[in-house]
Amino acid sequence: MVNKTNSTPGAGPSRRDILRGLGAAGAGAAALGFGQRAWAQARAPVNISFWTFENPQQRPWLHKRIRLFMEQNPAVKVDFQFFPFGDLGKKLSVGFATGTAPDGFVSQDWFMPTWLAKDLLAPLDVQRLGYSSVKSFSDDFTQAFVAGATKDGKVYGYPLWFYGFANYLNTKQFKEVGLDAERDWPQTWEQLGEVAKRLTVKSGERFTRQGFKFAMHAAQWTMIQFNPMLIQHGGAWFDDSGKCTINNAAGVKAMTVRASIARTYGAEDPADSIATAPLPQMDWLRERASMFFCHPIPPAAIASQNQKMLSEGYYRPVQYPGVEPGRGFSTTYGFNLVVNARAPKEKQEVLHDLYKFMMSDLADCWKDTAPFTLARKSGWADTPEVRQFPHVDEIIKAKDQGVYLPRTVVYNELADAVHRGVQRIMLNRADIKATLDEIAAEVDRATEASKRG
Amino acid sequence: MAGRPGENTLAAPAAYAARPSRRFWRLHFQRRITLWGIAFVLPAILFFIVFKFGPMIWAIELSFTSYDMVSEPAFVGLDNYRKLMADPVFGASLFNTLVYIAGSTVLITLVSLGLAMAINTRVPGARYCMMAMFLTNLMPIIAVCLVWRFLLHPFGLMTQLLAPFGIDRVDWLTDTRTAMPAIIAVTAWRFAPYFMVVFLAGLLAIPRDYYEAAEIDGATARHRFVHVTLPLLMPTIFFVVVISALLSARIFLMPYIMTGGGPGNATRVLSMLIYETGFSYLKMGEAAAISVVLFAIMLVFTMGQMRLFMRGERVHG
Repeated sequence: MVNKTNSTPGAGPSRRDILRGLGAAGAGAAALGFGQRAWAQARAPVNISFWTFENPQQRPWLHKRIRLFMEQNPAVKVDFQFFPFGDLGKKLSVGFATGTAPDGFVSQDWFMPTWLAKDLLAPLDVQRLGYSSVKSFSDDFTQAFVAGATKDGKVYGYPLWFYGFANYLNTKQFKEVGLDAERDWPQTWEQLGEVAKRLTVKSGERFTRQGFKFAMHAAQWTMIQFNPMLIQHGGAWFDDSGKCTINNAAGVKAMTVRASIARTYGAEDPADSIATAPLPQMDWLRERASMFFCHPIPPAAIASQNQKMLSEGYYRPVQYPGVEPGRGFSTTYGFNLVVNARAPKEKQEVLHDLYKFMMSDLADCWKDTAPFTLARKSGWADTPEVRQFPHVDEIIKAKDQGVYLPRTVVYNELADAVHRGVQRIMLNRADIKATLDEIAAEVDRATEASKRG
Repeated sequence: MAGRPGENTLAAPAAYAARPSRRFWRLHFQRRITLWGIAFVLPAILFFIVFKFGPMIWAIELSFTSYDMVSEPAFVGLDNYRKLMADPVFGASLFNTLVYIAGSTVLITLVSLGLAMAINTRVPGARYCMMAMFLTNLMPIIAVCLVWRFLLHPFGLMTQLLAPFGIDRVDWLTDTRTAMPAIIAVTAWRFAPYFMVVFLAGLLAIPRDYYEAAEIDGATARHRFVHVTLPLLMPTIFFVVVISALLSARIFLMPYIMTGGGPGNATRVLSMLIYETGFSYLKMGEAAAISVVLFAIMLVFTMGQMRLFMRGERVHG
């Protein structure tokens, strides 16, 4: 039978061929898209467990997106659980040990080395997440952030939020002492001490107002606040051989600067604080302290403690002080969506779809969780909602120029040792060099133990 | 229908086959009682084996391994114990634990005995005072810790109470010298009323005749306390000392919430170190070794107390 066709042999495809081809490709793509989006309707019910940390803005948004996904995929049920920020890592450790770890979870970036060292995470299929290659995936995020979630060329974390610390000022108090927060914000550590001293108000020996406040309530905060100080002063947590170097000259210098706000300038009382784990910035919010290093502070958090400060807008974030003016930078950190390597293949696939769905509307994410900046470069930063947000440029700048927390499997030991050391130095006036030596020895012991397995 | 000789004519029908067999009924009465006793106690024994002794034995076994809660445990012999001996944080925590046990046990015993004796004087309203004091035991421990953290703020209520004495600032929880005593005091505040009730029961069990006879013989109040109350209260004192020491040895939440083990290591006790080592650093083998050390301390302490008590019992007849 002769194949009847209107095309002329050798003359290339006809319009009809092209239309047919396009039609077939379109139908195929639609079927593929539909198949991925609505696969759940066609399959047996899938129950997924998902854990995250508690935060009054971020947790509800995650929950909202998960509920929406479940509505669109009725066969998928997600058991959503959340834990205090500082407890999530421990809960996950116990979960992995007892076989009760969730199928998917949000991981703080400093825990990634621990999970990766023990092969607890499944590599992500970036194509299923909507990227053509690992390179295009990596290019959509800050390189160094993705690097922390990459092993042997495979990506293990889908970066979600990513932000830096800033110095939050009470501009009204600046004005009270004759300073202009726009012009006089401290750009060096010496300026921080001088400005803090000027902002300090005391009644006898008691501080009515502390010019500046370092967080003293948790090891993680001690690390985040001190990390850039150490790096700015030329220090490092570890040398190439893995030995802790916090006790070298740069470390002593950085810690001396850290202590100087209280010891030299008398602008801080390390023992006098009303900070709590959920609200470490409480002293600043209640105007008991004029300056505080903090992650982006949501308006709702300000409103909950000081409606007047929010409505009159007498606050602003500025960059960390630096060793040289204008060269300050802070710690930056973030969160990854990850998949448990022990989760069945089918659940891993659903989690990919869930994560893709969650990340498909970053404008909505910003609307609900601002000013927690997102890790992805595209899809949010240029939207009008973001551009109109107060001080957004400072917040984004803090993220972009920040430095990371040390990526080490002994991170918890390091953080606890540093925190205890800072307590001894600040609360009990312990000798800085001797204390740093003790910290380094403690961390080296932990490193040795981890090497031995 | 008559049964055969020796056969139980009231034998159960087939529907009651679960009842004890004839063989059982042929056993000696005492033996049957013993078997019934074992049957009744068996669930409790099984419970203890599975949920108490089992984990204890497993913890001892774990203390000779390196175990990160994810990989399989690997036998390391006495390595974990050697590491502990060389670890200054363990040394500090062990010292703190001993100080805490001694301090809180002594304080709890003295305060609860004093309160019980005060209540026992039967002054009007004493029982209401007792009820009010006992309420501290009903408060959730986390609430207690949070409230006391604010009360012990450097400029908090406790410091303000000292203002008339010219003291306007005490860093109760942030000074290495005061943090542990402050936690011991809060522990006594929390647990003394409970033991007060125990002491009160002991005091009420002492016959009034003894006191009347002592009074007739001219014994002063101090003599009555030393020669009548104390000897007869010895079993209660032993109970209070042992139980409060065991409670203190396992204390975790109070230092964890109030000071986080700080400042420095000033209030880090062994149970906190076990938690951190196990769940924060994922070193379950080391954490188990610390648990074994804590267990050994408590075992030695309890056996020592028992020996003292037995000797006291023999002396007092």
